[in-house]
Amino acid sequence: MTSAAASRTQPAPIQEARKTPFWKGDRLFRLLVGACALLVLVSLGGLVLTMAFGGSKAFGAFGPGFVFSNVWNPVTNEYGALAPVFGTIGSTLIAIAIGVPLAFGAAFWLTNIAPPMVAGVVGTAVQLLAAVPSIIFGMWGFFVVVPFMAQHVQPFFRHHFGHVPGIRWLVHGAPFGYGLLTGGLVLAVMITPFVTAVMRDVFAVMPPMLKESAYGLGATRWEVMRRVIVPWSRAGMIGGVVLGMGRALGETMAVTFVIGNANTIGWSLFAPRNTVASLVALEFPESAAGSLKLSSLLALGFILMLLSFTTLAIARWLLREKRA
Amino acid sequence: MSKSMGQGWRKDPRATQRLLMDRLATGMSLTATAILVLALASILWTLLWNGLAGLSLAALLHPMGPPGSNGGLANAILGSLIQTAVALLIATPVGLGCGIYLSEFGTGSKFATAVRFVSDVLLSAPSILIGLFVYLVLVAPFGHFSGFAGSVALAILAVPIIVRTTEDMLRLVPVAMREAGSALGAAHWRVVLFLCLRSAAPGVLTGILLALARVSGETAPLLFTSLGNQNWSFSLDKPMASLPIAIYQYAGASYDDWVRLAWTGALLVTLGVLGINIIVRFGFRSKQS
Amino acid sequence: MSEALQDFSTASQAQGAVHAATPEAALAVRELDFYYGEKQALKSISMDFRKQNVTAMIGPSGCGKSTLLRIFNRMYDLYPGQRATGSVLFDGADILDPALDLNMLRSRIGMVFQKPTPFPMSIYDNIAFGVRLHEKLSRAEMDARVEDVLTRVALWKEVRDRLKEPAAGMSGGQQQRLCIARSIATKPEVLLLDEPTSALDPISTARIEELLDELKQDFTIAIVTHNMQQAARCADQVAFFYLGSLIEMDSADRMFTNPRQKQTQDYITGRFG
Repeated sequence: MTSAAASRTQPAPIQEARKTPFWKGDRLFRLLVGACALLVLVSLGGLVLTMAFGGSKAFGAFGPGFVFSNVWNPVTNEYGALAPVFGTIGSTLIAIAIGVPLAFGAAFWLTNIAPPMVAGVVGTAVQLLAAVPSIIFGMWGFFVVVPFMAQHVQPFFRHHFGHVPGIRWLVHGAPFGYGLLTGGLVLAVMITPFVTAVMRDVFAVMPPMLKESAYGLGATRWEVMRRVIVPWSRAGMIGGVVLGMGRALGETMAVTFVIGNANTIGWSLFAPRNTVASLVALEFPESAAGSLKLSSLLALGFILMLLSFTTLAIARWLLREKRA
Repeated sequence: MSKSMGQGWRKDPRATQRLLMDRLATGMSLTATAILVLALASILWTLLWNGLAGLSLAALLHPMGPPGSNGGLANAILGSLIQTAVALLIATPVGLGCGIYLSEFGTGSKFATAVRFVSDVLLSAPSILIGLFVYLVLVAPFGHFSGFAGSVALAILAVPIIVRTTEDMLRLVPVAMREAGSALGAAHWRVVLFLCLRSAAPGVLTGILLALARVSGETAPLLFTSLGNQNWSFSLDKPMASLPIAIYQYAGASYDDWVRLAWTGALLVTLGVLGINIIVRFGFRSKQS
Repeated sequence: MSEALQDFSTASQAQGAVHAATPEAALAVRELDFYYGEKQALKSISMDFRKQNVTAMIGPSGCGKSTLLRIFNRMYDLYPGQRATGSVLFDGADILDPALDLNMLRSRIGMVFQKPTPFPMSIYDNIAFGVRLHEKLSRAEMDARVEDVLTRVALWKEVRDRLKEPAAGMSGGQQQRLCIARSIATKPEVLLLDEPTSALDPISTARIEELLDELKQDFTIAIVTHNMQQAARCADQVAFFYLGSLIEMDSADRMFTNPRQKQTQDYITGRFG
């Protein structure tokens, strides 16, 4: 027997008493399942390595300037990552800014206020919404949110804030409906159910006695939430938010349909932008194998991977802390 | 105030303010939930309204075709079925194996901790990166897109889900059952495969179904792997059509019949994904009670 | 779950139907029934909790003694499907009155649970939490209040140097005394203790029992306990519950030496429960 776990469930004397070489079966078994585990490890390692290798040509050609350059010009064969990285982070931040208050409110309502029957139904609905494929959010954004933004939201903001100093840059741009804000909005709708579900689970494992202690001192529901539940579940809540952020960063389909796909940087929330994922999705089919453009796209993929894996690692770490 | 009321019941001077704050928070949280539910309703409504309008026998039975040719989605539906089936065929053994390794041999070892962490990271990795990875490994070297590459990309997405549920479910198997099996002289692998895995089967199956639901709506990993195909394609060695890719191609098109088909496809995919989720939930709940 | 702030005219109407409480009773329970959904957990309970007395409630698990305790601060309101009928008079009002200001009630009737429940904040803030809800105190006043209650639970000397540290770092016995301090910091009139020593070691238990003796000079104390010796040691009055009914209530001396009911005798001599 080679493993402690195995020897616990498999007392050695019994094995030796029987002459049949069962250990062979066990060793083979362990080898097989170990190989599966290794395969998982290798696939992530391979992902990192191939992406780095594929992007090395671009990094070699442009140097560290690749990250800070705002050029994407197939004609002159010059490429830079700044615009898509800007769009990726910008749309994610908007999604978080809109989605997190919604998720917190909904989770608060579901765990502390709603009657159990209603909470059950709405909670299931929210979890189902979290399972809807992202391309559906993209289509919904394309056919519902974009026209709504073009006809109502953007004209409204341009009319009321278009001349206010300091803000007018944010609402500048033609009212096409596409843009950073629309992308962030659709992302928010996509990640909110997910973040809500995580927060709801975190709030639900709060010991009832602790909650009752706070109520027992005469606290209102909001005071219990604000002063006791939130501090108690802080790590888990942040973990959920960061997990949602990881999803938003790497999302392709929900964004590609609505962000407008223009490789630009600027203050305006209404101007078309780009994200790493949407740029890759759109430009990849038009890139010849072995070209500098393809390598630049892979380098973008590498940057996206760094962004999202860092985020995910932080989230996992935060969520793990409470579990242990 | 009645005479018999004690002096202690004087009003708390801060009560009104605190109550208002509580009411405000309650109202805001209700609003947040309402917004979320409205968004859900809007999505489902749009989907049903547009999707049902295009749902016809032709949409289900005809292959894709040029605009105005009364084309359907049949080849995309079949392609999706083939690719997800192959993906699950690859992912299930690997996921089960890895899950078994983590639960049976993975206590306290650094390797297992690393595998668990990597699996968790892959669980939420951007799916487009998986597509790029498989492109570099299975498409570029062979010089052509293939349904098999699409299946592998989907499998990589499915594995972490199966790993997670398998490990969790195996850990729930009572120690007594393992010991009973070992006491009969059964080898460890027999105990795990025929006792533990069997008793954990409903949970493990749930994981596989959830993985199926997750990958059957994925678009991004297929873009650079199976590419999509306008015609019938049965060979895993050739570019293969799939529903998500068909939706992606048709939704942005300027032909009405293509857009209609995109909605129909979206409805089919969503119904499939939500259907699996509901079955899992419903089946799980009745098991528990 | 109405937390509406209303004049208490409705409370006085409800009161007309019940007997007047004896003058020294802090809590007067009359014809109280309690239901968890369909299941009746308390059957027609009538009893008085005397001021500046420790009243112990004993009985086998599931007899309804904890349920009764949770009625006094309307904790059951948090859970739909639980309801009480009858009346509990407290300072001229009926606790069961739906129009009662719950937050006010809970600041006047404090509760301590089976296990220590320190909030995820500093020792100081644990005590200040409840006070801040109801009073606006200056920094110096708050400091004085914290010192006062910590002294009363004999914790001041042990924690005076680490008031800003998280309460979770204290020992179980210290945490429970902190919870008692937290409850009395809002200056309640009644203190409800739900098996407060069940999770503690014998030494911590003894300290808490000593504490009860001192606290009863200022508070009316109702304690649920599984521990017969504890009831004998600390209580002035003892009430024995069985299957949701109050079987017998009397002074501690009498209950443990000469109970009137056979069930009581069986229970305290350890023949069941």
